[in-house]
Amino acid sequence: MTDLLLLLPEIVLVVMALSLIVVARRVERAQSAAIFTVIAAAAAIFAGWAFSGAGPATGFGATISGDGYAQFFNVLFAANLALAALLSVKHLDAEHVRPAEFYALLLLSSTGMMLAAAATDLLVVYLGLELMTLCSYIMVGITRDRSISNEAAIKYFLLASFASALLLYGISLAYGVTGATDFQAIASAASSRGLAGHPLLLVAVALVAVGLAFKIAAVPFHAWAPDAYQGASAPVAAFLAAGSKAAGLAALGRVGLIAFAPEQRVWAGILVGLAALSIAGGSLLALSQSNMKRLLAYSSIAHAGYALLGLVSGTPDGISATMTYSFVYAFMTLGAFGVVIGLGERGEDLAGFRGLAATAPGTAALMLLFLLSLTGIPPTAGFAAKFGVILNAVRSGHLVLAVLAVVCSVVSAFFYLRVAVYMYMTEPQGVAPGRLPAEVSAALAVAAFLTIMGGMFPETFTAWTVPPS
Amino acid sequence: MTTYPILSVTTFLPLVGAAAIFFLNERLARWIALATTLATLALSVPLYLQFDKASSALQFVEVARWIPSWNVSYGMGVDGISLPFVFLSVLMSVLCVAVSWTAVQTRVRDFYAALLVSETAMVGLFAATNFFLFYLFWELMIVPLFLLIGVWGGPGRTYAAVKFLMFTLAGSVLMLVGLIALLYLGNTLDFQELAGATRLNPTAQAWLFVAFLAAFAVKVPMFPVHTWLPDAHTEAPTAGSVILAGILLKMGAYGFLRISLPILPDAVQLFLTPMLVLSATAIVYGAHVTLAQTDVKRLIAYSSISHMGFVTLGIFTLNRNGVEGAILQMVNHGIVTGALFLCIGMIYERTHTREIADYGGLAKVAPIYSTFLALFCLAAAGFPGLNSFVGEFLIISGGFKARAWLGVMGVWGVALGTTYILWLYYRVVLGEVRPKLRELRLDLNLREVATLVPLALLVLVIGVYPEIVLSFLRASVTQLLGAVSGAGTVGRL
Repeated sequence: MTDLLLLLPEIVLVVMALSLIVVARRVERAQSAAIFTVIAAAAAIFAGWAFSGAGPATGFGATISGDGYAQFFNVLFAANLALAALLSVKHLDAEHVRPAEFYALLLLSSTGMMLAAAATDLLVVYLGLELMTLCSYIMVGITRDRSISNEAAIKYFLLASFASALLLYGISLAYGVTGATDFQAIASAASSRGLAGHPLLLVAVALVAVGLAFKIAAVPFHAWAPDAYQGASAPVAAFLAAGSKAAGLAALGRVGLIAFAPEQRVWAGILVGLAALSIAGGSLLALSQSNMKRLLAYSSIAHAGYALLGLVSGTPDGISATMTYSFVYAFMTLGAFGVVIGLGERGEDLAGFRGLAATAPGTAALMLLFLLSLTGIPPTAGFAAKFGVILNAVRSGHLVLAVLAVVCSVVSAFFYLRVAVYMYMTEPQGVAPGRLPAEVSAALAVAAFLTIMGGMFPETFTAWTVPPS
Repeated sequence: MTTYPILSVTTFLPLVGAAAIFFLNERLARWIALATTLATLALSVPLYLQFDKASSALQFVEVARWIPSWNVSYGMGVDGISLPFVFLSVLMSVLCVAVSWTAVQTRVRDFYAALLVSETAMVGLFAATNFFLFYLFWELMIVPLFLLIGVWGGPGRTYAAVKFLMFTLAGSVLMLVGLIALLYLGNTLDFQELAGATRLNPTAQAWLFVAFLAAFAVKVPMFPVHTWLPDAHTEAPTAGSVILAGILLKMGAYGFLRISLPILPDAVQLFLTPMLVLSATAIVYGAHVTLAQTDVKRLIAYSSISHMGFVTLGIFTLNRNGVEGAILQMVNHGIVTGALFLCIGMIYERTHTREIADYGGLAKVAPIYSTFLALFCLAAAGFPGLNSFVGEFLIISGGFKARAWLGVMGVWGVALGTTYILWLYYRVVLGEVRPKLRELRLDLNLREVATLVPLALLVLVIGVYPEIVLSFLRASVTQLLGAVSGAGTVGRL
């Protein structure tokens, strides 16, 4: 029974989701459901925190771990859930989406993310990620009467199921070679029975990496992201960019450090390739975007690459750097999406930002902060996080990769700060945007606070970024 | 010693002021900015009075735990090399607020907030005792200036702002890689520890030198990465031009002095000749291009390239005269070019033209203005008895000591410098009064005179008694040269 303590945050979310579904027909306004979801997220964080260390180290036959790694990501996913819930309110009311269903999906998707981060068994990782993605398909297509949204959902579904199949195939090969799906068992089988370097195991490593690379939208497995983000409503895109990426990275981190540790060289080689391609590809492709959601989608692809820089060394320090990166990225991207959402229809297009600094200086200043952080300019959290992962790349001898990373961040400055140019250096057009809705302001305040804190005091998150054990 | 953390207060007080401006009433913005900059200037006074000139050690040191996992601490401190620039930064900030008083009418709040943030970045950069903090302020400087140029600049402001941003970012990210590599190799980013530790192997030094050169050369700017400067200086509002010319350009040269010379001495010896050639090219090429300008602001901007060529030349002579002269020249250039940009800004506010051809005969309609301009033009030309003369003289004598041809190039540069600046003065101030200028009230008001007087005094005082600056430098320069002179094991390019 104490095993259940390990899954307490997940259980809280599932219970909340189910009760939302039960009362779905009575929930008319998105605001009440959003508050309910925020409470659920807070309860999940509290449950995880209050009972940390109360349960066993691992549970359910060593398939779930309650270590600091899982707890860190639980906090990330819960915060992501809460912010996404707040950001969705306006959109749901405008599009007449039934709020209870949407928020239940949001909760369940977050549950899947948490499960993937806590899993120490390939099958449970798969289960968690599938739960997350299945809910995401529906959320992307939840505005049924919009064809672009339907198209996005179908594309996302087809490509992601393909990726899931690859992941599953990789898992089955790993099982075939080592006779285990448990991380520790795979590692010990590979090293003790002389299976390291077994061709089938290498194929399994590659397939698992590819399957997870789809989840984090790393180049060349990124094609779904821009379409899905653009077709989905902005809050869903934000939720996916921050959450689904972090879930994929969490799984990559644990799998790489433990299960495939004996195959570190191959694993690192694949990650180096993915990181280099993502950083360069994401930055270059973003240059010509004028749709904000698409721009942020390409930006999220590039950031997946930066986050991978922490994993290439396969050291605990590197994983800490990636954890910090995904945490910081979650808030800066939620912040940037938050401004897009707060501006409503006009925020979706680059031209909508014309002269924003003159008409809405506060909103413009917030957007500038998030853009600077995304670019990686100090003293924002984005810089500190980038510093951490690049330091890790240099430490592991990938100097060329480090140079590529910083050069591409100059390229990325060009498109991020083009938004700033539009906001500050062009004349305003049309009517001034209204005040931001209260719930959006709240979400932006949290994101901005963490973006500044993480930059001024980079050590803030370090104590919490515990590598998997 | 003072009882409060004087450097941190000096650095972050403007930031507090900026926050106050952002949250308070728009009408108060100017006054808050003026009060903040004046208070910062006043608070920094003990720095100059209580500074121990005989010591080369860092003074007013503040250390606090910051990021132990990267072995980075929060460290502030000044030595003789950085102190003059702290003073220049806080002084220039006051003048920038003063000169923008009526010139900036749109989005006043944002303007002064950006100005104050840039003051924090400037002071912090010169007071930082470790590379991480240095980099932080280095980058922090970019954002407010990007906005100052791009929002309140001239007609081509957006292009100029983006060009400025891309050039400086491209340079500084290579510095970031170098910084990270340095942290990895030396496991510390503290300037003193890095300089005192066993030297890195020459290959690593050479690569790091190139990485840092990318950042410093863009900021100085050295030939051939100077092309952002004419656009940025010309399009920026007056305060922006003053900060750019007065402080920002000094950051690159300061980087050479603080980082390249003490930490990478072997690489400095290795790259000595290329650096000297680039400096001499900048002096002569910059001066020739300056001669051809028809826009007052652009002319001064190009003259900066030539003058900063003197600075890098002086630094890389690696002898006492050269280095002391270079630092003095940095201070002087900040004062004189800052003053010239202020003068141009003041007249531009009335005439709304920067074309030299639109001016003429200002001496008759604006006598006070013309007197100030005469003083600053003579100073820029290196007239004996005024401040720039001493710096240029020291640099050229250092150049002759290092290589004879350097001295020759320096003299050539001075000759051209006298030509372009006096020719400018001739065209703008002397001759017949342009009809259009007669109708305007051109002469300076009290506020503007008060803005220029401090700089005029500095021009005269440093010119007559250069020891007032040089005495601060001596001990630190001795230590710096001691570190770099023993190097050279790998030869030269």
